Amino acid sequence: MATTFSPISVFAARLMPKEQRFVSGHRACQGCAEALAVRMVHSILGRNTIVASATGCMEIISSSYPDTAWTVPWIHVAFENAAAVASGVEAGLSILMKKGKIPQRKIQVVGMGGDGGTADIGLQSLSGAMERGHDMIYICYDNEAYMNTGIQRSSSTPYGASTTTSPAGSLSIGQHTWKKNIPMIMAGHKIPYVATASPSYPFDLAQKVKKAAKVKGPAYLHIYACCPTGWRMKPDMAVQIGRLAVETGVFPLYEIEQGVLRITHKTPELRPLKEYTKHQGRFRHLDDATLEEIERRVLDEYRKLERREGLAL
Amino acid sequence: MSHPKKGDKVTFKIEGRTYDGRYGDSLLEQLRKHGYEVPSLCYHEAVSPYGSCRLCLVEVKKGKKQKVTTSCNYPVQEGIEVFVNTEKVRRYRKVVLQLHLSKTPKSKAVRDLAAEYGVMETPYEVQEQDKDNDCVLCGLCSRVCDEIVHVSAISFTGRGQNKRMQSPYDETAEACIGCGACVYVCPTDCIGLQESDGIRHIEKWHRDLPLQTCEKCGKQFFPTFMLMEFSKRTGISKDQLNICPACRNSVV
Repeated sequence: MATTFSPISVFAARLMPKEQRFVSGHRACQGCAEALAVRMVHSILGRNTIVASATGCMEIISSSYPDTAWTVPWIHVAFENAAAVASGVEAGLSILMKKGKIPQRKIQVVGMGGDGGTADIGLQSLSGAMERGHDMIYICYDNEAYMNTGIQRSSSTPYGASTTTSPAGSLSIGQHTWKKNIPMIMAGHKIPYVATASPSYPFDLAQKVKKAAKVKGPAYLHIYACCPTGWRMKPDMAVQIGRLAVETGVFPLYEIEQGVLRITHKTPELRPLKEYTKHQGRFRHLDDATLEEIERRVLDEYRKLERREGLAL
Repeated sequence: MSHPKKGDKVTFKIEGRTYDGRYGDSLLEQLRKHGYEVPSLCYHEAVSPYGSCRLCLVEVKKGKKQKVTTSCNYPVQEGIEVFVNTEKVRRYRKVVLQLHLSKTPKSKAVRDLAAEYGVMETPYEVQEQDKDNDCVLCGLCSRVCDEIVHVSAISFTGRGQNKRMQSPYDETAEACIGCGACVYVCPTDCIGLQESDGIRHIEKWHRDLPLQTCEKCGKQFFPTFMLMEFSKRTGISKDQLNICPACRNSVV
């Protein structure tokens, strides 16, 4: 039975695992939804996990010498090869188990990166790892720009957003290209599990992480991570903005299991886009005509997704 | 020697390695904490152990006695020796999985777990009434409802083959607030929660709860009955809770 977990969220604090693998004391900004997402994901994945992390916010804040926020084996690798290293770790473990040098057991290998490390720089190694069919999870924490180096645009930055390398002004509306659709690129690799998730919907996220861990072969998770610093918004609104992103259709929650798409949070009537953009300074300069254009595009993409539901992609 | 108290420091062995723990801790929790894999269906760390699925079997040696026991409700004690994956444990677990397969032949969670142990079919007879029922009678939903939600809307009824997890008299569970905590913890996903036309429907408890309309945006979000219950418990006025989480901005 395909239950939708996104409408339920109460008692999440008591029902999520208590043992943390990404512990407090790290240096994330106030209201960082990415740190929240990492904490949730790794409390669910548990102890038998090896993480390969691309350069990015999560590397900077969690591992500055001599401290670490990780209680699982964790390796920092360059921007472009997080997925390659994770696939190497997985291959190494499987050969050691085959030779009997370490006991047979399930060790979950996780590659993680931001949107820059996934959509721009790490795309070819990610594509290779997914295509080779390693038994691993790759998680992209999408905060829609290169946040740790100072808010430079990435190919995951949405249309109209102002960043330091796509500044809004009299001659520019900010980012002038549309956001790259990475989950669908990953679905194109015909891997067994692809999903989008958001820490604003904790049970939905938990369910998707569990499914990704259970699947044999590569799984890809695209997690929406609000960045109050880079998006120029109030830190206490991170969870709320995550909900608004889903309900306005900007970031629909869906999963593609064995090639079949299912929307896990159905919104029959999308909210007006303005409710989402008005809280964020990066969209402050947009006039009504541009917002309407974006809204039309968002609606178009959402309807396309709805039409694909239940079909084998 | 005085009797040990709950929380006293104890030393015990798992697979020959020495670990420290507290007297009375759940053995299963300690095993998982130290990275040993033990399957289970009926255990959740947030609620008390129940020991109904019989999958978390381990061998425990205490003094001269050695026995196979469920680890979820076995308290950690001074000087015990635990063996997680012995031949005997695997054999017992296979039988338990065969019994599970005869009870819930269609459940994906049970089938996957059984396949891991090489159990593909069951030698036991499958009852007609069990064929389409995915419930493994683990009781997690009712324990969560009791201990976390503090509502006790559901419980076990009947005995033996007729044991079921049900709402009272298998009619509408009047006390159910529709929070969905049982849906999340269910190991076989057999409760079923759907939302349509402004009503949250929980299939197994025959409960239909109308959803509250948000005062700011007019969208429907949580069941009204649940918000009334929360208002009663927390003392926050109903008007403040009538705003959906996406519209709420430092209001509550």
